[in-house]
Amino acid sequence: MGELEVEKHVKYILLVEKRKDDFESVVMEHLRMNGAYWGLTTLDLLGKLETVDTEEVVSWVMKCQHESGGFGGNVGHDPHLLYTLSSVQVLALFDKINVLDTDRVSNYIAGLQNDDGSFSGDMWGEVDTRFSYIAICCLSLLHHLDKINVEKAVKYIVSCKNLDGGFGCTPGGESHAGQVFCCVGALSITGSLHHIDKDLLGWWLCERQVKSGGLNGRPEKLPDVCYSWWVLSSLIMIDRVHWIDKEKLVKFILDCQDKENGGISDRPDDAVDVYHTYFGVAGLSLLEYPGLKAIDPAYALPVDVVNRIFFGR
Amino acid sequence: MSEEGLYCEGDPLDLLNQLEYILESDPLIDEVGFIHPSQFVALNEEAGGPPPSSVGTVLQSADESVKSKISNTNVLNTVFWNRDHKLGISTKVLLPLYNAAKHAFMAANEQYKMHKNLSVERDGSGNGSVLSCYSTSLNILETQVMKHSRALLLLSCDFGTAWNSRKLVLSKKQHFPIFMDELLLSALVLSYSPKSESAWSHRRWVIKMIAGKCSNLQEIVEKESELVKKIAEKSKMNYRAWNHRCWLVSYMSGGQVLHELSKYRDWAGLHIADNSCFHYRTRLMLRMLEDSWQKQNVNGCSGCNFEIHQVWKEELDWNEMLIKRYIGREALWLHRRFLSLCWIKHFATDIHDASCHSDHKTSTSHDMVIFMDNELGLFRSCSAILDNDFEDFQSHAIFSATYILWLTKQVSECLGIELREKLLAGEPKTLLNKVCLEKAFLWDSLGGLCGCI
Repeated sequence: MGELEVEKHVKYILLVEKRKDDFESVVMEHLRMNGAYWGLTTLDLLGKLETVDTEEVVSWVMKCQHESGGFGGNVGHDPHLLYTLSSVQVLALFDKINVLDTDRVSNYIAGLQNDDGSFSGDMWGEVDTRFSYIAICCLSLLHHLDKINVEKAVKYIVSCKNLDGGFGCTPGGESHAGQVFCCVGALSITGSLHHIDKDLLGWWLCERQVKSGGLNGRPEKLPDVCYSWWVLSSLIMIDRVHWIDKEKLVKFILDCQDKENGGISDRPDDAVDVYHTYFGVAGLSLLEYPGLKAIDPAYALPVDVVNRIFFGR
Repeated sequence: MSEEGLYCEGDPLDLLNQLEYILESDPLIDEVGFIHPSQFVALNEEAGGPPPSSVGTVLQSADESVKSKISNTNVLNTVFWNRDHKLGISTKVLLPLYNAAKHAFMAANEQYKMHKNLSVERDGSGNGSVLSCYSTSLNILETQVMKHSRALLLLSCDFGTAWNSRKLVLSKKQHFPIFMDELLLSALVLSYSPKSESAWSHRRWVIKMIAGKCSNLQEIVEKESELVKKIAEKSKMNYRAWNHRCWLVSYMSGGQVLHELSKYRDWAGLHIADNSCFHYRTRLMLRMLEDSWQKQNVNGCSGCNFEIHQVWKEELDWNEMLIKRYIGREALWLHRRFLSLCWIKHFATDIHDASCHSDHKTSTSHDMVIFMDNELGLFRSCSAILDNDFEDFQSHAIFSATYILWLTKQVSECLGIELREKLLAGEPKTLLNKVCLEKAFLWDSLGGLCGCI
């Protein structure tokens, strides 16, 4: 089994940020805020966040804020919860949440809660349990959970639970490991994990591990490095992580590295990208791979960052 | 140097004009794709004869400047290809075209928003001529936003701000056909990017806007379902597509639900590895159950249950047939978990309304014994590993054993001790340890949940 190519991954992330001369990279510019979160969190987990100019990042993040209080995926783009959480997380990495008018950001988020407790992603009304997670995670990081009706939010998430123990986007939606993470994360942050049948959900989650050791996100799908995060973090939160073969999963993730140019792909020998690089490294962090900072399974931020927010320095 | 950098014919704005012109002149384009320059020759030859229709029709009506630019840069059809309502865009122009579309859109959108705010402020002024002047320029800006956002979305399917700008323009309109056009545009985007979350979400926004205001919602819902089927055939296990279909269920009538279930059964039988299509059936069947509970509450009749009882029975038989025909398919076994669980909880109890959770579980119902005997038989027939060389047979055996274990865990309180002992008797776990020893730690944990040692 190979080792984690720390230096090469750092180099890859710093390089990817500067690529602007091909269609494949510019066409992702609308979600650059997510990219910034993936790349910068990876750097932090690898212990290399200091290679980045804090002021440059912070001022760019703040340029993406909309008058409504929410953040867009890039300068001049419309605000959405998806980018609002990434912005807050990026600022948290640099210990810069204090530059925010937290009331304004929190009011934007709280304003997107619907009567049934669910959350819309933005003013156009698409509802998804992902947005419930984002709202709850973000408000908790900003110490403003009191601005929403938590009880109703929890009730809505529970209404998206399926008979297989998993969760979907909306009531009756198919279980998906990504949605499971969001729902378990939101329930964990709000102290509501008792709504979950841990054995049943754990069963479904551990059935995601396939022969190669990798995890898939749904039955019959190929394994993909990103589920090392979604599935593993959920299993940790419900205390069933001993049901999967961790060693084989570590090997699967390491096999997905580009050992020459850095970066991690979805499966061995595929093209790398910053999204899978983050989820690979985050997965290894959950698996306690040596030399990596520990990551919090609910907030998806390094544990020291989360501790700083909730317990001071 | 990147391939796009080699492009040097004409300026990007011309390209954008050309693309927008083609879209304007052929509103029925239903498929778009990015094609490599080398494919143009083949496409033109295949089509045979004169250059694609777009250039011809475009030239007839185009204003002079656009006309000359089109004939200059697209004369050899090396940039755009448009025939039979299909549109191909050369990969070599994607970068400059995208940049041009984005800048044009962002500029128009900013102006539009500014203007809109201004006209709102002026609203109270009461000056008629100023107002009408504002509304004219607002209309022009609206057209610009719609035109540029369309071009942009054909290049970058999840550019949320572009979708939003269209929603903003449309939200004030009451003109029904405009909303139908949005469904067409979204379908066109899905033709090159079937997983585009924003394109699917835009459809839901449109449907929510028109629901309650149109007389043919049922028909629209049916067409939506058909679209998902079409896309699911090309794009396997597409979560976004199937999620959309599940979302539609709440807009269906009871009859439509039943119709969907039977109409697409054969389709599911041909796509047995697509877990999403079985989940869709789950969604439909649960909706039937909900409806029947509601009816029972209203009428107090248990007779309405008969139909759904039949549906369940047929689905169980059909699923068993598929399991035996297709070896080692996880989605089929998972569908069976759902079917059996609901069967036991809702149909296999002797006394109507008897809850599994009641304390009087001294004897198990007769139906239950028969049902579980059948499941045990299925497990045994599937767990006999016929050929060790084939992974599929091993998977089949594992799925059958975990199926029995899972079901036993889920309904153990309905089962009575005898039946539970009979089901477990160590068999599934022994088999799992034999076939898949590397997961022994897991089988131990799962077995523990079901009370088998």
